[in-house]
Amino acid sequence: MIYFRGCVVREKLTSISEATETVLKKSGVDYTIIEDEKCCASFLLRTGFQREALEVMEKTLKDLKGEKILVSCAGCYNTLKNDYKELLGVDLDVVHTSEFFNDLIEKGKLKIKRIPLKVTYHDPCHLGRHCEIYQEPREILKKKADLVEMERSREKSRCCGAGGGVKSAFQEMAVDIGKKRIMDAENTEADLLVTSCSFCILNLKEGLECFKIDNKDKMNDKDKMNDKNKLNNNIHISGVVDISELILMGLEDEEV
Amino acid sequence: MKKSEIDAMNKSFAILDERRSHLLDSERTQDLKKKVKEIRKYSISNLDELLNKGIKKLQENGNEVIFADNSEKALESILNIVKNELMVAKSKSNTAGEIGLSEFLEGNGIAVLETDLGDRIVQFDPESRPSHPIGPASHLNMEKIAELASKRLNTKINPEPRAILDAVKSDVLDKLSKCNIGITGANSVAAEDGSIITVHNEGNINLVSMLDTHIVIVGIDKLVRTIEEAVSVVKLETIYATGKTTPAYMNVISSPSKTADIEQILLDDMYGPRRVVVILLDNGRSESIKEGGECLLCIGCGSCIVSCPIYNAIGYDFGYRRYLGGRGVVLSRFIENEKSCFDSGLFTCTLCGLCTLECPLDICTSEMIEKMRKESVESHLFCPEHAKIASRIRKKGSPF
Repeated sequence: MIYFRGCVVREKLTSISEATETVLKKSGVDYTIIEDEKCCASFLLRTGFQREALEVMEKTLKDLKGEKILVSCAGCYNTLKNDYKELLGVDLDVVHTSEFFNDLIEKGKLKIKRIPLKVTYHDPCHLGRHCEIYQEPREILKKKADLVEMERSREKSRCCGAGGGVKSAFQEMAVDIGKKRIMDAENTEADLLVTSCSFCILNLKEGLECFKIDNKDKMNDKDKMNDKNKLNNNIHISGVVDISELILMGLEDEEV
Repeated sequence: MKKSEIDAMNKSFAILDERRSHLLDSERTQDLKKKVKEIRKYSISNLDELLNKGIKKLQENGNEVIFADNSEKALESILNIVKNELMVAKSKSNTAGEIGLSEFLEGNGIAVLETDLGDRIVQFDPESRPSHPIGPASHLNMEKIAELASKRLNTKINPEPRAILDAVKSDVLDKLSKCNIGITGANSVAAEDGSIITVHNEGNINLVSMLDTHIVIVGIDKLVRTIEEAVSVVKLETIYATGKTTPAYMNVISSPSKTADIEQILLDDMYGPRRVVVILLDNGRSESIKEGGECLLCIGCGSCIVSCPIYNAIGYDFGYRRYLGGRGVVLSRFIENEKSCFDSGLFTCTLCGLCTLECPLDICTSEMIEKMRKESVESHLFCPEHAKIASRIRKKGSPF
């Protein structure tokens, strides 16, 4: 099996690939990583660069054809699963970490330790509405912690704001939309926002930072003087993490 | 759109969403949705036939019918009818917005009296545009509305809803009494019956359509077979647009006003208009049908923009004229051209697909946008940021 990390994990959020590889090793799964991993072409397809996309897809396909492919990113998943079929006529054997890890847990190959946290789950558009994977990530979350749902979840989930090339062309707007999704998560009073798309995580992390700054601005000076930590204390959501990172929580001290 | 307007709009949308939430999943709504989907699909697949039937029947009923290929033809036809007027009365119409009717008439020295309260308020504010197809003033808060109305009506109006309503109403009624011609849109046109169906809550269309001449400007995509079908369409639109099961008024207009009460002798010009002119507008719709016509299935409820992440962040800058949000972007490509589509926000959509889920007709807007992006790039219209990333991906397999 190839673990296809995807560009965001590879270059921006390496903690996700580290966590994923740790989980794979813990579960005794054989996998390989392509050192010069190429692009799935999702970005090119979504932003209209079809000719370039086809060129990139042909190259990427050479590495992936006939292999079982594990992906962290919802965008890679949707592209490899659906666009390669539609445009190149190849049915790739692709599985998302949320499906794969849930399967490992159910088969008893991956033991997870419950943590006393309240978590909420953001459905990435590419995994949820576009591929209808809603349940597997939730199964993991329920086994690991207390899952609380946001008002808009599953097929009605609000977008994180990053997709379709919007983050690269309209960064400010993307983060603004991400902030709204953070607010949805905050309303559940969960401690942690978990999702299964690296691109969503990138944007939601920035959304959370902006949310904290807004919150700080709203506090009056007296509050700030009384309690310097209040800034973070009165926000429930402490971070945005990938499902692989959540699985490893509480296991930091164990040898893996 | 200003930050304060975005906030006011988000607040209005949240109230609307809450109000309609219990209705949308009900069995009755679901049944109606299924029925309307079939009606609209039939219409778009058989538009030529409906158009021929509709024109014939409308004429037989005593209406004048003008077929306008494009907005210039529609504007010219309307100007020809209204050229001697100082002011014409108008109800809310996305199609009139599409052809820029108000601006055109004002440019020709004819004042336009918007009779819908929301539209009238927006008309008071030269800086803003309608932000929702049914609730055009969703982006303005009460204080702002009172300020605008006070300025335009030259009297102090308190920021209180009843006071604003009373002041605008009495001004509109006063001006309306001097108008001879009313212009409305239509929510549906029943081809086999030769009737147009309009929907409103304020009663303004009753007034506007009773003047000497009634002009109806309507897109050919609004054709359905019968009045019964038209009623189903507008009921569903009302549910999704307002959270109510029925609007206050549905008017079915089939001909100018007439009577045969004296020895069965047919006389025209009783209480209603002497002249009803129906302008059927193509303006790129036939072009859209050649590509499947998906965006023409729309019944205009605005549900797509209420949930759209982009629309909620930037408002009417995402969309084309009164066709707001992603579906408006798609439509602009047919009404105008690729450049207009690009400018309307072709690359502003996150392709999240929530609009399809919220649409009573399940219109796949994000898929159409993705397809149009491809064509746009082929025509060298793209975001420079995207082109830079695309080149990096090609060269080194990574966007970063």
